[in-house]
Amino acid sequence: MWSYVARRLLYSIPVYLGIILIMMGALRLRDPVSAYLGKNATAETALLKKASMGLDRPFLPIGIEDPAEPFGIEPIVEVGRVGFYPPLRTQYVEFLWRILRFDFGTAERPYRSWQFESDNVGAKLADAVWPTLKITIPALVLTATIAILVGLLSAAYRGSVLDKTLMVLVVLGMSISVVVFIVLGQVFGSSWLNGKLGFELFASNGYEPGIQNWVKYCALPVIIGVVVGMGYDARFYRAVMVEETSRDYITTAVAKGAPRHKIIFVHMLKNAMIPVITRIMITIPFLITGSIVMEYQFRIPGMGKLLIDAIVNKDFPIIQTFTAVLAGLFILTNILTDVLYALVDPRVRLA
Amino acid sequence: MIAAFKRLKASRGVGKFCRNRLAVAALGIIVLYALVGGWVALGDLLPGRAGITYAQVEQPVWPTPINGFGIPATNERRVEAARIITREVKRAVNNGEGFTDIRYGLLHILPGTADSDTELDRLSTLIEESEDLYDQLSEFDDLNSPEPPTLDDGAPDPDSIDVPSTIARLEGAVRQMFAPLSGWQSLKQSLLHSLGTDRQGRSNFLRVIFSIKVALQVGIVVAIISVLVGTFLGAAAAYFGGWVDHAVVWLYSTLSSMPELILLAVLVYAFSGSVFDKVSNPWLALVPVYAAMCMEFWIGPCRVIRGETLKLKELEYVQAATAIGFGRFYILLKHVIPNTVHLMFINFSLLFIAAIKFEVVLSFLGLGVKVGPSWGRMIQESTQEVINGIFWQIGAATVFMFVLVLAFNIVSDALQDAFDPKHVG
Amino acid sequence: MTTPSPILSVRHLTTRFRTDRGIVTAIDDVSFDLYPGETLGIVGESGCGKTVTSKSIMRLLPERTTIIDPSSQIMFEGTNLATADDRTMRRIRGDRIAMIFQEPMTSLNPVFTIGWQLDEALKYHTDLGRAARRSRAIEMLKLVEIPNAERRVDEYPHQLSGGMRQRVMIAMALCCEPDVLIADEPTTALDVTIQAQILALMENLRKRLNTAIILITHNLGVVAQVCDRVAVMYAGRVIEVGGVRRIFHDPQHPYTRALLDSIPKAGRKEHGKRLPTIEGIVPSLFDLPKGCRFADRCARCQPLCRDTEPELLPAEGVGESHLKRCHFPLSQAAPVTSASHAAMTSSPGARP
Repeated sequence: MWSYVARRLLYSIPVYLGIILIMMGALRLRDPVSAYLGKNATAETALLKKASMGLDRPFLPIGIEDPAEPFGIEPIVEVGRVGFYPPLRTQYVEFLWRILRFDFGTAERPYRSWQFESDNVGAKLADAVWPTLKITIPALVLTATIAILVGLLSAAYRGSVLDKTLMVLVVLGMSISVVVFIVLGQVFGSSWLNGKLGFELFASNGYEPGIQNWVKYCALPVIIGVVVGMGYDARFYRAVMVEETSRDYITTAVAKGAPRHKIIFVHMLKNAMIPVITRIMITIPFLITGSIVMEYQFRIPGMGKLLIDAIVNKDFPIIQTFTAVLAGLFILTNILTDVLYALVDPRVRLA
Repeated sequence: MIAAFKRLKASRGVGKFCRNRLAVAALGIIVLYALVGGWVALGDLLPGRAGITYAQVEQPVWPTPINGFGIPATNERRVEAARIITREVKRAVNNGEGFTDIRYGLLHILPGTADSDTELDRLSTLIEESEDLYDQLSEFDDLNSPEPPTLDDGAPDPDSIDVPSTIARLEGAVRQMFAPLSGWQSLKQSLLHSLGTDRQGRSNFLRVIFSIKVALQVGIVVAIISVLVGTFLGAAAAYFGGWVDHAVVWLYSTLSSMPELILLAVLVYAFSGSVFDKVSNPWLALVPVYAAMCMEFWIGPCRVIRGETLKLKELEYVQAATAIGFGRFYILLKHVIPNTVHLMFINFSLLFIAAIKFEVVLSFLGLGVKVGPSWGRMIQESTQEVINGIFWQIGAATVFMFVLVLAFNIVSDALQDAFDPKHVG
Repeated sequence: MTTPSPILSVRHLTTRFRTDRGIVTAIDDVSFDLYPGETLGIVGESGCGKTVTSKSIMRLLPERTTIIDPSSQIMFEGTNLATADDRTMRRIRGDRIAMIFQEPMTSLNPVFTIGWQLDEALKYHTDLGRAARRSRAIEMLKLVEIPNAERRVDEYPHQLSGGMRQRVMIAMALCCEPDVLIADEPTTALDVTIQAQILALMENLRKRLNTAIILITHNLGVVAQVCDRVAVMYAGRVIEVGGVRRIFHDPQHPYTRALLDSIPKAGRKEHGKRLPTIEGIVPSLFDLPKGCRFADRCARCQPLCRDTEPELLPAEGVGESHLKRCHFPLSQAAPVTSASHAAMTSSPGARP
């Protein structure tokens, strides 16, 4: 199995390189510096800014220099108009090198955000992660638990009134946009509810660090997230469970005289765990991004809000770093999923 | 492909779908929406004669915000509206022109006609009466819950005016200033007011109906392009195998490693300030949104079709066709892809829902539809109103969107039930 | 000689299913007896109701969509299994009546070891401790002739071949020494050499443990090999029951006769002759004819046949041990045959 994991890791490398390449290219479609400086750009400030960020350097180790906008470094060797540049000083490779060392700005070698000139990108990311996790992790746990329960119940009593009611509720939840829940949640969940209760249970937006403030600031977004996200998961788990009930080995187990609860919670569940785990694992990288909409509306200074602000303010370093980190996380989690899969399903283990 | 559609129609799946009455009803609702959306779109082609145009949507249908379902607004609002209208008419009468500028929905002031003098006189009388009534009412501090004026000894003053009836008379006077509406026209007018207005006085009904067109537009464009691209790439990847397969798989692994919203946001950043922002044509202005959504959405159908094609590839009739000597592209187009048509339909409806919901979120964040109404923008604009307890705009947008999405959900479920043998219902 | 009483007695078993095209009767008025220690074969073509019958006995059909007619009687040790409650059924399943299925590849749970699955059956029905259960499991594996049983017991199903998996299924079924074993086409999915081994194994075990076996198959060769008695089913009904020897030698129902005739035979005499087949197709269960269900395909069909369905009655001069459901069984004189079925009577060995 470990060879399998190794192969996957190896295969992921070109994927990741590709992602970074595409992403960096996309971000440079429009000159980041002029986008940031906007109308106030003069030629000098633009050049200075570029140089400071290393944006004047060639993108790839092989490049053709435009005489109007010269590169800031010298080529190792030139063949006609094509120049070969020291890879580590090209933008692409240099950024990859940063990722490898996970160095997004330290005191000695700063990598500053453009919005917050005194902060390193790395520090800003680190600050923003925790608020996001405080929302996404509870939401994930709650959603998964409730959805699995709903799915199990619906499948076990398939066709009954309970099943139909649950599924109707779930579809209703799926058909209303999350933004409606947010708007209504903020009004009813905080202002109205607080009025009725006489004290402030949920704040309608804002954030303060500390576990004691969790209910006040994070509970409402979590609740909304669960209501919205549960629909898809519940239906999926139900489908998985129902498919399990029709399996031959379940008939065998019944023929052996196994009681109903053992059938559901031992035989079916262990087999159903495979797709369930896969699904949960897939959502793990998104724990980091958080819900952009949620953080934006509730003004929670998490990763999502960080990214949106960066986009709106054209803060190039943050955008670039953010997406690189995220993509890397995603790939790693995929591989981790495969490993978990192998642990749960003996058929994969020996393949 | 026509033969494929015929085969599809006659297949067992269609029969099963049709037996599902709920699904057929849902499909009917979708068709209804499509008809409405199509009619609205006519506004671009035949402005004024059919459909709804931007200009019509943006125009206020009343000077002050009103409630839906005919529920009267607060007294203060009603009086304020009357005052505004009176003032406008008065100005027009004094200037002798500008009558045509005064429009509230279908209500308009008759322009000068042969009897223009009589008309002007009539208007002047009404203006006087209105101003008079207004003065009476302005004596009260709080029109919404006016205290009946009392005499010095605490008994109610018999000479004081009765606020509700006075307001009614005021509104009556103002109403008479407008040209009378035929039965059909007044029906249309009340339709415009049926769901209330937003803070700027624009008809929620008109805006929500217009948003149907926007939603359908986004949904159809994105879903069709994504399904076609995804199907073609997926089928090609599975059928030709080799480097084609590797390339396609690499491509969608790469793209799907970014959460959609982030990819969208990055793309929006890349596109922002570009030519698309400045374009006023609503069709073109949404191109960044379309592009961004398609770039994520094609992956779903691609995976599914690729899986299905891998399966079909091994079936005998494909091998037979190859043995006969048909070219590979020919087989792909004529034999393989038509047998994935049912999956294309299912994916189309799923992506349609996703596109609509996405558009709502994007517009809500200000990244999507920037010109003209859409459900997302309506919800976003309603945040202020909701705080003050006014739910007309958000209610209208939510309900209309909900019904469409629900209908599509039911239809896709039924489609999967009917056509996908592996689906669990 | 006193005839022993049957260990399992099925009377008037009728099972219906709810489908989205209405309620369909899958098996109708099925009756047969199973005597201790014997092998009863249930034979018939695909869709005739063999599996539904066996699953009805074990009550393994989906509750929501299955209706077992209340007049059905499945008498086992004094209890009517057709109306027994869930707890009773759970006690009986695996312990007193066991079942093995057609597809060994999918009938074992892939995420548990074989030992665990054997252990489970023992846990539900016996009081043995863990060590005792494990040694019993290994003992059973040896009994079904699996080599290296001590090692295999900790392996997963996908590590075994089809034949071995079927042996494991048999071990699982017999580990509690049930009185009845229902085997639903146990060898259909295996190739012929393995088939012979499995059948021999089942024979052996039956003798050792004195378990009665209901063997469901569509293969008459298998029936001839291992069964003591056989019931022939057609379109949801039992149409003939009796001892294997007698039925093979002296079938009463035209369908049975036709089945026997359609077995390919070797030998110079048969060389070059056409293989007889039964013309027509089985009637759809949604559209059953009023009279005998085989009428359309029967060479001896008479107006009476189309009008009234025959009852399952003892054959002439034989008694209860041979029942048939036919107005004009083969032991009687042949009625006037219709011209379109002339081909049927010209098959070799047909009795007028």
